[in-house]
Order: sequence, then C-alpha cells, then structure tokens
Amino acid sequence: MSAPNSRPLLRLLDFAPGALFAVVLLVFGLMSDKFLTTDNFTQILVQSSSTAVVAVGMTFVLVTAGVDLSVGAIMFCGAGLAGKMALGGQPLSLCLLVMIGVGLLGGAVNALLVTRFKLAAFIATLATLYIGRGMGRWITQTRAMNLPDSFLALGSAKWSGVPLPLWIAGGVILVAQLVLSNTPFGRQLYALGNNPAAANKAGLPTTRLLAEVYLICGACAGLGGILALSQLGSVSPKFGEHYEFDAITAAVLGGTSLFGGRGKVFPGTVLGAVLLKSIFNGLVIVQADPYLYPLITSAIIFLAVVLDSLRRVAEARLNARQIYAAPGQI
Amino acid sequence: MNSTPTHLERPTTNNEPFIVFDHIEKAFFGVKVLKGVSFGVGVGRIVGLVGENGAGKSTLMNLLGGNLQPDAGELRVNDQHYAPRHSNDARNAGIAFVHQELNLFPNLSIAENLYLTDFPRIRPAGTSGRADARRSGLPWINRRALRAQSVELLRQVGLDLSPDTLVERLPAGERQLVEIAKALGANARALILDEPTTSLSSPECERLFILATQLRDRGIAIIYISHALGDVLRLCNDLVVLRDGEMVGGGPTQDFTHDRLVSLMVGRQLNQLYPERRSPARPEPNETENVPGRKPALQVERVSQPGIVRDISFSLAAGEVLGLSGLMGAGRSELARILFGLDPCASGEIRLNGENLTGAPRRRIQRGLAFLTEDRRQEGLCLEASIADNMALVTLPSNSRSPVRFLDYTRINSAVKRMREAVKLSPKAADTQAVRTLSGGNQQKVVLGKWLLAKPKVLILDEPTRGIDVGAKSEIYRLIYQLADRGAGVLVISSELEELVGLCDRILVMRHGEISGEFRRDSFDREKILAAALHFLKK
Amino acid sequence: MSNLVGSDLFVLFLCGITFAAFAPFTPIFVTPANLANILIGCLPLLLLATGQTLVLITGGIDLSVTAIIGLSSVVGALVMGGDQGWLQGSPIAMPVAMASMLATGALVGLFNGACIAWLRMPAFMVTLTTTMFFSGLSVWLAKKVVNSESIYNLPPAFLAFGTHAWLALLMAVIATLLAHLLLARTLLGRWLYAVGHNPRTSLISGVPVGGVTVGAYVFSGVFAALASILLTAQLETGSPNHGKTLLLDVIGAAVIGGTSLFGGKGKVLWTVYGVLFLSLLGNGLNLLNVSDFLITIVKGAVILVAALLDVWRTKFVRGP
Repeated sequence: MSAPNSRPLLRLLDFAPGALFAVVLLVFGLMSDKFLTTDNFTQILVQSSSTAVVAVGMTFVLVTAGVDLSVGAIMFCGAGLAGKMALGGQPLSLCLLVMIGVGLLGGAVNALLVTRFKLAAFIATLATLYIGRGMGRWITQTRAMNLPDSFLALGSAKWSGVPLPLWIAGGVILVAQLVLSNTPFGRQLYALGNNPAAANKAGLPTTRLLAEVYLICGACAGLGGILALSQLGSVSPKFGEHYEFDAITAAVLGGTSLFGGRGKVFPGTVLGAVLLKSIFNGLVIVQADPYLYPLITSAIIFLAVVLDSLRRVAEARLNARQIYAAPGQI
Repeated sequence: MNSTPTHLERPTTNNEPFIVFDHIEKAFFGVKVLKGVSFGVGVGRIVGLVGENGAGKSTLMNLLGGNLQPDAGELRVNDQHYAPRHSNDARNAGIAFVHQELNLFPNLSIAENLYLTDFPRIRPAGTSGRADARRSGLPWINRRALRAQSVELLRQVGLDLSPDTLVERLPAGERQLVEIAKALGANARALILDEPTTSLSSPECERLFILATQLRDRGIAIIYISHALGDVLRLCNDLVVLRDGEMVGGGPTQDFTHDRLVSLMVGRQLNQLYPERRSPARPEPNETENVPGRKPALQVERVSQPGIVRDISFSLAAGEVLGLSGLMGAGRSELARILFGLDPCASGEIRLNGENLTGAPRRRIQRGLAFLTEDRRQEGLCLEASIADNMALVTLPSNSRSPVRFLDYTRINSAVKRMREAVKLSPKAADTQAVRTLSGGNQQKVVLGKWLLAKPKVLILDEPTRGIDVGAKSEIYRLIYQLADRGAGVLVISSELEELVGLCDRILVMRHGEISGEFRRDSFDREKILAAALHFLKK
Repeated sequence: MSNLVGSDLFVLFLCGITFAAFAPFTPIFVTPANLANILIGCLPLLLLATGQTLVLITGGIDLSVTAIIGLSSVVGALVMGGDQGWLQGSPIAMPVAMASMLATGALVGLFNGACIAWLRMPAFMVTLTTTMFFSGLSVWLAKKVVNSESIYNLPPAFLAFGTHAWLALLMAVIATLLAHLLLARTLLGRWLYAVGHNPRTSLISGVPVGGVTVGAYVFSGVFAALASILLTAQLETGSPNHGKTLLLDVIGAAVIGGTSLFGGKGKVLWTVYGVLFLSLLGNGLNLLNVSDFLITIVKGAVILVAALLDVWRTKFVRGP
C-alpha cells in the first residue's frame, strides 16, 4: 500500500531539468540577442561535448550509487601522454588510442580499490585524483604543451556540416543510452544501485558489474579528454580541472541520483551538460563578472543535490510499510 | 480429537513429496529452535504451516532457502539430498519464496524484475529460436520477447497490467503477484508463501487464493504460512502445526478445526522459568487505579496515525506490568515508536504521570520514558563501542557538570559497575570490551542496564527476550519485576504468549493497528488471547 | 605484525622510520633549525586535522576546510588590512578581524552541518560544493573590494602570529588541548563518538544527533579559521589561495593516525602523530629536491595507504 497523493509531486521533479533549461533560454534570450542564434548554440553544443562524454561515464557510476572523482586527473594523464607522443612524432591515431588506454587503466585502478579493497568510492577516487594529477604534472613537467595541428583539426573538422566532436559525442551518448536501457548489463546496474543486498540475493554478479562501471567511466574520461584536446589544442597544467565536478553536476541536474538506481543518459545527463554550458555561455555573453562563475556553478549543483536528497527522503516515506489500509489509499 | 503429534512422513495421497523435511534440528547459541521436525510437501498439494511467532517457521524456511544449515536431519528435494548454501541453490532446485519483504526493485519495470537475471536476448540470425536457449545471444534485450513472455507470466497469475509498468507504482497486492510470477518464470516447482495476506485487501486475498489453487492444480507444491487460520483451513490440503520447534500436529485439513488449531498452537505446558510472582501482600496494580488522586503512569488516549495505528487507548498504572500481544505486523512496535516520539502521531494524547508527552525522544527520556527496541543490534547498541560506553549512554547528561559538561567518570564508572552486578552481566567480560563480542543475552542485559540507570518511570520493552538463552531470560524477568516493584510502569511487547501470560498483570491484544482485546490476569485464557490476535473477539 | 599496525603507536613508529630514512640522505634534516621549521610549519595542518578528526569521528568528512581558510583569510584582511580595510589602523582592528575570521569558519561549518544533518545530503558532496562556492566567493570578494588576490598591510599585532613562533605554537597547543579535552572529557565528546558508531541507537538513547553533527562541522570550520589566522600571518597577506594544497594532508594525517573513515574511532593524539608523520615526510621530500608533482603523488599514495589501513584495521585488528 502506498499513499499516491505525493507521487505526482515527485513526478514534477522529473521535469525540473527541462523547466530549468527553458528558464535559462528565456532569461538569457531576453538579456541578449546573441544568445539564441544557431551559431551560438552550435558552439554551446561543441563546447559541452567533452563534458557530456565524461558525464555519461559518470552516470554509469552514479547509477550504482558510486562516484568517480578522478576523471579529470585521468583526462590530464592521458592528454599529457598523448601530447608527448604526438610531439615525439607518433601518429595521431596511436595517441588517441593511448588516451583511451590511460582512461581504461585509471578506471581499472579505481575498480580494484572499490571492489577488491572495499574502499569507499569517494575516498578511493579522491586518492587517485591526486595521484593522477601528480602523474600528469610529472608527464608534462608542469609545462604547457602545444600540440600539433592534427588535434585541432579534429575539433574543427565537419562531416555533413556537423562538427566532428558532436559526431563523436553523439555516438558515445547513443551507445551509452542503448546500453543502459536495452542491455541486461544496463538494467542490472539499476537494480544494483537501488538495493545492493537484494541484487546479491537475486544472484546478480555485483562485483563484476561494479568493476565494469568504473572501467567505462575511465574510458569515457579518456574520450572526453580527446574531445577537449581537439578544441584547446594544448595541454596546460590545469587541463581537466573541475571536470569531475561538472560531470557530477551534469548528471545530477539531468536526474541521476547520487544515491543510485536512477538516471538517464538521454535526455537527462546530456541535457544537464548542455544546460551547464548554456549557463556559462549566457553569462559570458551578458558579460557577467567572471569571478561569479564558480559561485553560480556550485549554487546550481547544490540545488540539484538538495532536490535529489529531498526526493529520496520523500520516497522512503512513501514506501514505508502500512499496517492497515487507511481510507483514500490503495 | 487427541492432540498427540502425528508425523506427516508421507501424505495420505498418491502424490509424491517434492520437499521432505527429515528430523530437522537447529539451535542458536545453545537454544534449540527446531527439535526434530519431519514432514513432506507433495507435488500438487498446498501444505499450511501454522504456529505462533517463534515456533520455528521462519527458521525452517531459512533452512529451505539456504540462508542457514541444519544441525541435524536432512532436507530432500525431488528425492535427492538437498543442502543449499545460497539462495541460488534454492532457485536452481526449483524452490521459490514469496516473503513479506518482497525482493523486487521498485525502480525497474515488471518485465525487468521478472527477467532480471535471464533476459531474453536477440539472437544472431541463423541460430534457432529455442525457448531454453534464453541465456545465449547478443547482449541485447529482445524487448518483444520480453514483453510477450512477461504478459504470459502475468496472465498466469491473473494480472492484466502492462509489463512496462514500474513496480514502484504497484500496490502491495499486485507486487506480490509479480513476485509469484517471477517464481513461475524461474520454473519453480515449489512455492513458499510467507504471510501473504497481511498487506492485502479482501479482493486481493480472493485473487491470491484462486491463483494458489490454480498453481496447485498445475502440479506446484505450495507451503502456505499464515496466521489467518480461516484462510488456511479453506485453502490448504494438509496442515502442519509447529510449537516451540516441534511438530505438534499434522495431517489432512479435514482433521482439523479452528479451535483445535488454536489449542495446538498454544499448548498447555509452561516451559519457561518465571520468578516467583509477587507476594499477596503487595497490592495488585488494578487496585491502585481506584485510589483517588493516584495517576496512572502512562495514559494513551485515542492515538491514531493513518495507516499505522487506529484509535489506541489504554492506561498503564505505576507498578503494573502490561503485556502487548498480537501477531507480527499488528502495529505493536509501531505503537511503541509513536509513544517514544520516533514516529509522528496524527491525533490523540499521550500523558506521562498526568502531563502531556510531546517532543523528540530526548525530551521524553528526560520526563522518565525508556524504550528497549526490538532490534538491539541496530538500535539498542553501538556494537563497536565498549560495554561501559553503551551502558552509560542514556545517563551521560546527568553525569556531567555544567557549564562545559565535563563528565564525572568516577560516578559513571561506579554506576556502570553497580548496574553490571545488578543485571548479572557475565563477569568475564571486561568493561572495555566491545559489545559485539557478547552473547545475545549479555547484549540485552547491557541495553537493559543502560535504561535502568536512567531510573525510568515508564519502560517499554519490545521483544526483550528474543534470541536469548533461558538463563538470561529469567534474569530479565526478575529485573522487570524489580523495576515494577519500585513503582515504574512496564509495557512488554512480546510475540511469545507464554511469556506474557507468565509475566504480566494484564494483557492487551493488537490486531491490524487496533486494540482488539484486554485480559486481566485472573482471566488469562491463552486461546482467547490468540483468537483476539487472529480476529476480533466475538462476544 | 598486526598488533603493531593496530596499536596507537604505529604512526609514531612510522615517524621514526621516516626520520631514519631521510637522515642519511639529507643531513640538514636533523638540524634543530630544520626541526623547528617543521614544527612551526606543521601548526596550520595540526589545527585543520584536529578539526577534521571530530568530523571523521561522527562518520562524516569535511572537504571544505581549505576553502574556509581562503574565505576567512580574505574576510579578516578586509577588516583589518589593505588600503581600504574597514578598520584599518584602528586598535580594535585585529580582535574584530580575528573574531570575524572565526565567525566565518563557524558559519560555513554551520551551513555544512545543517545540509548534512537536516537535509540529509551526502557529506562529501556537500563539502565539495561548498569548497567551490566559498573559494569562488573569497576570490570574488578580494577582487571586488581591493581588485587583487592579495591583501597586504596587515597590522603588526596580527603579524606577530607569524613572526613570533611561540605565539603560534601557544595558540595551536591551546586549541589542540581544548579539542582533546572536549573529546575525552565532555558530554559532547562522547556524543560525537556515539553518533559515529550508530546514529540510530544514539537518537533512541537521547543523543541530539542533528545538533551533534552540526557541532562537529562548526568545530571543523572554526579550527580551519584558526589555521587561516596562522597562515595569513605567516604569509603576511590575506589571500583566497592559502592552504589550497593542504586538503589531502589533512585527511591523510587524520586517517593514518588512526581515526577511522567509518566513524566512531579517533583521538586528537593520534592525529598529532599523523600530522608529525606527514610533515616529516613533506619536509624530507622537499629537502631532497623532489619535484612538486612527485610529492603530490606520494601524498595521494599516503591517503590510499591510510584508507587501506583503515579498512584493514576495521576488519581484522579487533579486540578479544
């Protein structure tokens, strides 16, 4: 038995990201006519492609009620390594493969720490964040590297008029969405995130599932790094900073819960990533004080997490066991 | 009809037993919970398993499900030795459980729950489409097959719902049917239904009965565990009655009546140790109510919380031991939590010594209320903390000096020491030892000691002797009497009727969130008390 | 072996090893001047880690301490220093500034605690978010008011915390001692442990769980502000960037000292050992001219080892 009266309110929360997006479009559109143009929007999409890809990987981890704070550091290491190789004359494709490889390696380390050594996800990935950043700085010798033009060419290339980064990001999003909603693996992740004990009892291979999501997240971090490199063309010591934060923000804004068991890649996380970048884009266009940016981002993520937490409390109350059927209930 | 136990080795039909319990024994911490239970469950039969809480039903089912292993005796399934160690083993043997706490994932759809571990997959072109080759194929869910197979399973249990519905939107009755459908989908040959009707409405119960009969006719062996004796008599082919870990009755249903079942469940022997009852010189608590000006220790008036408890009114006199009986799920623990302030109370009044009791548990403790919860490991103790830390927890504020609240460790330590002796805590355990290492009985003594240190005016105990040995039990009874003799009111919630009958001055019975009966000591009638718990007492 | 690892003195043992390991390679390591350096240098970390210990004991974590340092540094400097400091030049500038620094720490801690205790948000997420917010706020404040990320001209009385080592030492020792007394001898201390062990049992036993949780974070915030006082004085500027690299050291010091990430277990003394160890390690690596990023890697590895040790201790090294 449950009290259906509060469920519609919870349903409303699902529309929050869309509503917020509409508000953002409205506000910035009114404040400046440069905002709502195709060119600007294409730029927003391209700029958000790297965040979106990393956020997609983060979504997998969040669905299982975990977190990966090291994605930015993994990006950094991969980019540094690839940069060194490129400057050393290696072919572009090899460098790109290395970036993904580094991503998988980082994911594997996290997977090991979380599943085998049973560390809490946030502390394990916090540690790998620092180790990763340190390694990245070691690889790059804390100096900015200007990469060969082949990287930037990736970023500006177009297929059928659509920039290449969007194709790549789109492909990742499509595959991720299909995996999460149409494969046994994907559906089992939601069960695991909802109730790990019941998942075990039901016979799900929980250790393997958990390990795989961290691998996926690492690989996505590597891919995200490729997309970021393709737009920046260089690796600075600050490469990849704050990506973990933006990824979590995008996912939670898009409806993924920190507590596991819910979340969609499309429209959810993708919408969150685009929303985030739109806000920034809008702020730039209206020439807001750049020092306000971190304040605004953190306020947004704070709001998203508050809503997530409140929703969880409300759901727990709704699902509480009843002793007898009060009038008005099922 | 005599009440000597009969053994259901081979059911009196032609059907072969699918599941056989053969002289099963099990003990916890030296306490025997199952003392040699033997019976069989035939293919195409519904066997009703009846008994009070603590009779051994859940232990028996845990053994069947692989959560526990028997100390002696043998389980056989399909005439083969069966020794499960994990729920997967039970599943593979074709045994499916439908517990009260359903194992569904509310954030997934019905279909996904049904096929979570073996989704039908898209097979590459060219391979044959055989139904049992479900696990092979590409890692891609065949949505059409999933939907079709789910609809089929749902049809078998009589549910006409879209399989894409999220489970969180289903009421309890439908969720239960989904759980049964899940069992059918796993090709279960035996189904165990554990208290299936507690959360169901009348029409949902009817639907369940029809389904159970259909499944039985299809050859599935069913164990039906329930307190609703009327339903059991109606539905089941054979009955097994457990009491105190023994099978005290068994056979075809037509051999049993409602009254016979109740008397079998309840038994006549007193097999607990109770300290000497109060000397006649001490006035019975009932008499104090007639003394003008003497307020009852606790007064509960028309307390209601929609969906939880309804119109609860009673009073507890100082020096009285009041029992609260009823079946699991009747709302007793929930009532206790409301009285203590852990859960909200929509209407009604609670008064302690005449004054209204409101606010958080902390406030109520200061007023003199104490609450020993049902789950001592999760809510009564800090398992990793020491005995001394646990015992001192409630009374820390009174042992601290303002303004900075420095603790008077000398006072605390001596109080703990005295209380250890008073509760007769095992002297081998050091004060600094973590309570996790203690036995159940000693752990409970620590919790009780913690509350006794607070010198409460009203103490609520929820299942105070569950899972502890006989010696510790009688200790706890002695402490309860001591507390009552000092003028406190004690409310004891217990599922062991014998315990309440031996211990209390008065017993209240709850059922479905309401008080369904009240019995004074001089007219304790075990059968009537149980009957009130099962259905309303008809005058 | 497990007895050694599980004992209180394990970290002290580690310190000894570190000492012995570095000494032959850098003779400067063991000179009194260097040791004094280490001692004074480790005071901010000591304050931060002590505050963090209380939060860890309740089973939470406070990742926002470095942001609190930056914010209170800027707030304090804006009150007493710079060219347009509010009370610049006034005799009450310093006490008012210090009070406002502490208040800043307390308020941020209050916010953190409220979100965690009453809105039931995950601790790591809340404090990560507040780090970003308050760090950004301090930069914005500094830029807005004095158009620079560094605020100079702090009153000499205040700078004494930097120039007079004994003053800093006194402050840190008193604060640490107070924290120890609170944990070991007061009601609040026992309540902190209880909440960390089992919040449900604590609630039923009459512990004001919400208030205790908030209190722990307020405490952490105030101690971060104290650390900020030292750092601001030592570096003679108010800046949002002070202590940015300390976060990892804070958690590493507390956890490797023996305070558990799972809650219910921890002591100020253990944290002191942990701080000592990390400071010795950092100083030694510095003297060996090990590059910055290698130091970061080492510190990350220390956290990892500390967390693994914590899991091991929790699972295996147990009393009888």
